[in-house]
Amino acid sequence: MVLKYLLVLLSDSSASFCYYPSQKAEIPKGIAVANSHKKDNAFHISDEKPTEIYYNEKQHLISLDHLKKTVVFALKNNLKVNFLYPHFLLDEAYTKVIEEVEHIKIIPFDAKIFNEDAILIIDSKDFPTTLDLENYTHQNFILKLQKKDLKKLDTMILALLAKSARINLVLMDVENYEEKEYAIYEKQLEKITRNLIQYQNQNAIPELNFLTDRIDLNQMNNCQAGIQHLTIAPNGKMYLCPAFYYENPSEDLGEIKNEIFIKNSRLLELNYAPICRICDAYQCKRCVYLNKKLTLEINTPSSQQCITSHIERDASRRILEKLQKMHPDFNPQITIPQLNYRDPFEIVKGNPQKIATLNHP
Amino acid sequence: MIETKEVIIEKTNTWEEGKAKNITFIVTEDCQLQCKYCYLVGKNNLHKMDFETARKSIDYLLQDCNYFSETSVILDFIGGEPFIEIDLIDKICDYFKIRAYETDHPSFNSYRFSFSTNGLLYNDPKVQKFIAKNAAHLSIQITIDGTKEKHNLQRVYPGGKGSYDQVVKNVPLWISQFPNASTKVTIAREDLPFVKDSVIHLWNLGIKEVNINVVFEDVWEPGDDALFEEQLVLLADEIIENKYYENFTCSFFSTQIGLPYKENMNWCGAGKMLAIDHEGNFFPCNRFVNYSLQNREQLLIGDNQKGINQNRLRPFLTLDMFTQSSPECVSCEVATGCAWCQGANYDYADSSTIFQRATYLCLMHKARVRANNYFWNKLEKKLQKTLRTLP
Ligand code: SF4
Ligand code: SF4
Ligand code: SF4
Repeated sequence: MVLKYLLVLLSDSSASFCYYPSQKAEIPKGIAVANSHKKDNAFHISDEKPTEIYYNEKQHLISLDHLKKTVVFALKNNLKVNFLYPHFLLDEAYTKVIEEVEHIKIIPFDAKIFNEDAILIIDSKDFPTTLDLENYTHQNFILKLQKKDLKKLDTMILALLAKSARINLVLMDVENYEEKEYAIYEKQLEKITRNLIQYQNQNAIPELNFLTDRIDLNQMNNCQAGIQHLTIAPNGKMYLCPAFYYENPSEDLGEIKNEIFIKNSRLLELNYAPICRICDAYQCKRCVYLNKKLTLEINTPSSQQCITSHIERDASRRILEKLQKMHPDFNPQITIPQLNYRDPFEIVKGNPQKIATLNHP
Repeated sequence: MIETKEVIIEKTNTWEEGKAKNITFIVTEDCQLQCKYCYLVGKNNLHKMDFETARKSIDYLLQDCNYFSETSVILDFIGGEPFIEIDLIDKICDYFKIRAYETDHPSFNSYRFSFSTNGLLYNDPKVQKFIAKNAAHLSIQITIDGTKEKHNLQRVYPGGKGSYDQVVKNVPLWISQFPNASTKVTIAREDLPFVKDSVIHLWNLGIKEVNINVVFEDVWEPGDDALFEEQLVLLADEIIENKYYENFTCSFFSTQIGLPYKENMNWCGAGKMLAIDHEGNFFPCNRFVNYSLQNREQLLIGDNQKGINQNRLRPFLTLDMFTQSSPECVSCEVATGCAWCQGANYDYADSSTIFQRATYLCLMHKARVRANNYFWNKLEKKLQKTLRTLP
């Protein structure tokens, strides 16, 4: 484990920046199941929806004491911090502590906190009516795309292009994607690609995690929760990532401390993920939370994760082909071969890798 | 592999091994016995399957040719004690035959009904009627654990009385109906002194194939391995002296065990097989059902309404030896044949995963390997033949 940064949930109602649902209207699920006598009941097996209870947001803020401890820990261990902001402004005492450490602010767009260096989270459901993008020129955005808005992805990306330095797309409800959604996603990426190539004649293309990351990568660049980063929740405890906190707060990794023990942590590593370790969709998040939720194993991805990532990989392949044709010296070290599968599971199933090709680190 | 015909001590392949889809119906969790080593920790007489549940499950499976792509099928009936529910089983089997025929499913031409039973009801008229009706498509395994003393140590009625006499009286009928019948023996700690005598006893009863295992649970203590090894060496001597190797098999001895890994395969078939409980829930094998687990929640891979959850199947179908083993096991010099049970691994793992191998059997396996070497070296010397390929 080479920890590089921490994620800090400043409040239970901090906006979700990733695959897990925002918690504004929900209490963390695990509270309801914490009484079971069996171990590790997180994710098992009930598909119950969490109870909908609205709570007073300010009550669920991280304590100043926990925040200070987190910052000191980060300073001592050369860690950067990503602070996940709620929808309301923080008191000055909080801001002061936050400013002590090298950090990035991740802020929900609708909080209307203008900050050039921050990453802003946009929800596709707010697009474009309530979005005023006027003041932005070179912003980092996270676009959380609801499944029902998939058909509008190209319009949204086009609207954001001139405003962005980078756009991270998160496919919400990806677990419910089926053939119909795959086809739409493919179409959408085709459309965006066409526009992108035209756009790049005049301007620098912003980074798009789902399209352009792969054309610069020659090794995996996954989320790496539990390896490169850990999360501090408002209760002052550590988690693999915010999603694990919301899923089951009683499954924590303990208080902030130097010796962090994660049971079976090897299963977070690529080498111990039989499907992913043969894969070259390097831009894929390889989300261990979705893995756990959908396959019950943190090292095993769902078909939805693999297929959407391969749709992206294939779109990147076309972009790279075009760019290399136009500029022969463009990224000569990168190749993206055409594949005859869109889910590496099909290759690995019943056909495990040879022992000689595998090494314990 | 063995080239010589006069040595058959190694277990032969079972019907359509690896090619048939194995579907287990957990028809009842009830049993007349209360065997001491029984892994069914939550055994009870409340849960039993009804016909509707079985019917829906068969209907679902016969139409899911993506999951059930095999052309042969083994319908396995387990409990508890399956023959307690013989009427239900008869109905399920008839329904399967009719539906497989009506849907033109390839398995109609290649199916088996398989039973693991404690044997107490074997001579019951209803059971016998069922056997006569399905004779060409049956395999039945009666569990006898060896000598009377060894059997009655474990396989007892709720009051503590041993079941040996009631079981053994049905053995001649069973052997007459299934001359190649096999039995499955489980060795617990207390049984260790009786291993040799038990195997020989079963052969003398006419059971040619003895499949034998030590329990997978975390029960073994220092010194057990030495006792085990001693018993296996005594057994080896007796087999060689009395030429049991010509007519009988015992799964303890094999030319394939005690070698370094060459393949990265998983050991067990969980996930390729399917177990169905009384509610119509689907499991990777019956060891993942609540009643067999001590520490963890049961692990479902679907049900007969919504079908197979393909995502939950993915870990089982991509699980390999390397990913679940420690570096020590991967590079172990005597690794082959060192068994594990995916369900026990899951139950004992530090976190909720099937990717952590329990190694409680390490010393027992190493003892078995030494006795196995002893056996083959001695036999090769006697027959003046090479029977194994050593690295
Ligand atoms: S594991 Fe990583 S990718 Fe998945 S939800 Fe957590 S932070 Fe996001
Ligand atoms: S596409 Fe699938 S196999 Fe490849 S890295 Fe992503 S999750 Fe793993
Ligand atoms: S458990 Fe022991 S005997 Fe078995 S493979 Fe591992 S090290 Fe070898």
